[in-house]
Amino acid sequence: MSHLLILVPFCCVIILNLPIRKVMRSLAPVAAIVLSLLQVVMVLCFDCHFWQTQFGIIGTFFKFNLVVDRLAILMLLCIGIVSFVTAVIARVLIKERKERFDFASLLLISLSALNGIVMVRDIFSLYVFLEIAAVISFILIAFKANLLAYEGAFKYIIFSAIASIFLLCGTSLLLITSGSTDFSLINASLTAQAFSPSIILAVGLFLVGLFIKAGVVPFHWWLPDAYSEAPSPVSVYLAGIVTKAVGVYALIRVAVSVFGMHKSICTVFLLLGAVTIVVGAVAAITQTDFKRMLSYSSISQVGYIILALGSASPLGIAAACFHLFNHAIFKSLLFVNAAAVELQTGTRDMDKVSGLSQRMPITGLTSVLGSLSCAGIPPLAGFWSKLLIVIALLSTGHFVYAVVAVLASVVTLGYFLVMQRKVFFGKISEEFSNIKEAGLGIVVPEIILAAITVGIGIFFPVILNRFILPLGG
Amino acid sequence: MKNELFIFCIVFIPILGALMLPLVGRFSKSLRNAFSFVFVLSALFFSCLLIPQALSGKSVTFVKSLPLGFNFSLTADALAVFMACTSSLVSSIIIVFSFNYISHYENQDEYYSMVTLFLGAMMGLIFSSNLILLYIFWEITGVTSWRLIGFFRQKQQVLKADKSFLVTVFGALLMLLGFLMIYQQIGSFDLSAIKLAAKTSPVPVLALVLILCGIFSKSATLPFQTWLPDAGVAPSPVTALLHAAVLVKIGVYVFARLFIVTFVVPDFLRILVVIIAALSAIISAGAALLETDLKRIIAYSTISQIGFIFFGFAVGNELAITGALLYILMHGLAKAGLFLCAGIVEQNTKTKDITQLGGLIKTMPVTAISFLFCAFSVMGVPPFGGFFSKYLVFAGSIKAMPFWIVLVYLFGAFLTVIYLFRVFNLVFLGEGHGLSAKEKGPLMIFSVALLAFLSFVGGVLIYYPSLFAKSAAVQMLGLMR
Repeated sequence: MSHLLILVPFCCVIILNLPIRKVMRSLAPVAAIVLSLLQVVMVLCFDCHFWQTQFGIIGTFFKFNLVVDRLAILMLLCIGIVSFVTAVIARVLIKERKERFDFASLLLISLSALNGIVMVRDIFSLYVFLEIAAVISFILIAFKANLLAYEGAFKYIIFSAIASIFLLCGTSLLLITSGSTDFSLINASLTAQAFSPSIILAVGLFLVGLFIKAGVVPFHWWLPDAYSEAPSPVSVYLAGIVTKAVGVYALIRVAVSVFGMHKSICTVFLLLGAVTIVVGAVAAITQTDFKRMLSYSSISQVGYIILALGSASPLGIAAACFHLFNHAIFKSLLFVNAAAVELQTGTRDMDKVSGLSQRMPITGLTSVLGSLSCAGIPPLAGFWSKLLIVIALLSTGHFVYAVVAVLASVVTLGYFLVMQRKVFFGKISEEFSNIKEAGLGIVVPEIILAAITVGIGIFFPVILNRFILPLGG
Repeated sequence: MKNELFIFCIVFIPILGALMLPLVGRFSKSLRNAFSFVFVLSALFFSCLLIPQALSGKSVTFVKSLPLGFNFSLTADALAVFMACTSSLVSSIIIVFSFNYISHYENQDEYYSMVTLFLGAMMGLIFSSNLILLYIFWEITGVTSWRLIGFFRQKQQVLKADKSFLVTVFGALLMLLGFLMIYQQIGSFDLSAIKLAAKTSPVPVLALVLILCGIFSKSATLPFQTWLPDAGVAPSPVTALLHAAVLVKIGVYVFARLFIVTFVVPDFLRILVVIIAALSAIISAGAALLETDLKRIIAYSTISQIGFIFFGFAVGNELAITGALLYILMHGLAKAGLFLCAGIVEQNTKTKDITQLGGLIKTMPVTAISFLFCAFSVMGVPPFGGFFSKYLVFAGSIKAMPFWIVLVYLFGAFLTVIYLFRVFNLVFLGEGHGLSAKEKGPLMIFSVALLAFLSFVGGVLIYYPSLFAKSAAVQMLGLMR
């Protein structure tokens, strides 16, 4: 029945666009919220009947090879949570009814594409879903339809197009060499004929394509513009889940189940991961735009995931997935905080605001939790995933990379403290002495996300054995 | 089972209580204050209930096994109970002081919540016998002190708060690397497992050095000391709590817990610690002589005294360790008293510059006498508590260490006398510079007087604390009676 996760949102969009506009316009945002929430609920009862039953008729029409394993479940949960948060805050942040409707429709298409990316098991379907998600992202980034938004969208289109070419070339080369697009078949033929030049080329092209999509240094140039110029709900959605599913998840999936963790691939991962961590973190320090700072932070955190993947041990892969999940939660939280600040003060410039937590206590508190989690301060969720990453690196003998990963946390903490000092932790200036906490539509998602971060951190010992370690396979 | 329950109460009543304090504060301020005091006092109460068991030389352990060696394990041995009693005693008095001191500032909810959470995390750190658990509580104390140092919210204060947070986190991360290296070798974070394994295969020296960096950063010892004087921008009870009595003792405590109880430490590393601590003691004593800001002087004095505690532990024989443990207690009481006196002076005269103060003994007699008593204890004047601790440290070291090192420390002790008399002279004696103010806040005066009284009584009745410290030292060294 996992087909339904792709089909239902898609059909929903078609129904919403039937020519009874008036009803549908008010229905669409609700539909987005309900569907994403439904996805979260379905995923949380993983053992229920839904996942096991085969849906005969639909199965014959849609010949996708869909597999739902633990990693996919984790991602589906992530997608559900972040889409839910996005849909909820979009109701507050997008004022125009027509825009709200457009946004909800786009969100639903994107939801079905992301679900597809997570569950497919052949490389061409993966490519198709990646493209759907990318096209929706272009429109979402340019949603505000001003010059800066177009610039961000344009950069993303260009980079994404290049990535698509790479991915498509890689896919076709793999199809030629192995005669199939199925993950397991490609994997089998790759192990049979390793190191033939065409395979090296194919793998290289495919990886570079995914690196661009994930925003790994040195392919990250589109990312800060795209994240920061997009409207706030879109930033949450892009940073929280889209690039993570499109780029990072696809990378993990392809590296683990298609290419196999070959030594040379791992070296590339380790090197790029370490560079990404450092470059992203250092760039984040100097930013004055709240969302831009978070974008660079996002780049840096993706570096941790790639680095963990490079350790090639089951623990490393589990840690990478765990950090991916944690990052989706706390980075969405921070982007929601940024949205709240922008909504209430009208600016994203961190130098112009100060001491907001005196007037916006919940936003202030949750942003502290998000920041500390991202910086890897215990007992929050981010600490545990980073700890597992470092343990994985050490146990595979990558001492230097482990040191980089650990000490980069100081830089991470540094830029978050700068942000906290400028925006939240300080004396409130005259200009903003009358502002209020953002409305319920923003505060509730903040509380939910912060609670997840804290909860995972505190109950980590419980979930470690049951959920995280099996992720490594 | 009963004792295990006590440990849980000590650790989790303050931590969980801290989370509900802001909610209570919405309804009633005095109720919140009372709750905060009760939570901290309960930690003291349950710690005291553990004393008989600690004196008997046995330890209580609670272990919940978890995968990857992340065991949740709490242990109460004599060292831990001694430390818990000391920290919670000093913290309770400081909380009483803050009732008056903090009452007219904003963000009180956060203040009480953070102080209580800090104490809870401190207790957790003391009782945890797993490196990761220890690290978690260690960082929580860092987060709370970050919020507390930045309490006044001006840019200057927040910058200093950020600095102290970053420095201690940097040290902590180095320490974490050290922990992970040990984990690499032994495969567990559990201290008892490490202790067992360390007997046969010594822990890598690099790991020990990394852990030392973390310890020095938290205890503000050379070369990580600069954050401590800067943190003086915090409200006085915070400086007393964090930077004199409790927080800086974390590093010392972890040193005792890991380097004496758990690991087998090579001799040259002990000498290294002794030398670094000596440098730290002398240099910061010199800085205290030159400084004119009242709180910075006391902060430098703390750095200097911490050096003596490290000295006692690094010497590592029974006498010196007993002395170092007593030092933690006596210095905590006396230094908290000094900081709180400084707080009274600062709040009433609105300045911390000792060159502008003078003659305050006429208008603030109780504060002046309390300050003098606490200063006597820190200097090591008999019969105050500080004398005995200092005496035992020196008596233990004279047998074990080269004579010149002991002389260096004696010089440090001599400097302590000079700079504390200088402060007392300039602030309380001589002519006033037009800045005279009455003592305000009965609870503030009561708490400094209590600390001064305890410093004195602790010396007169030294038998009881020294008995406790001695049995802790015996248990730490694994000596059998």
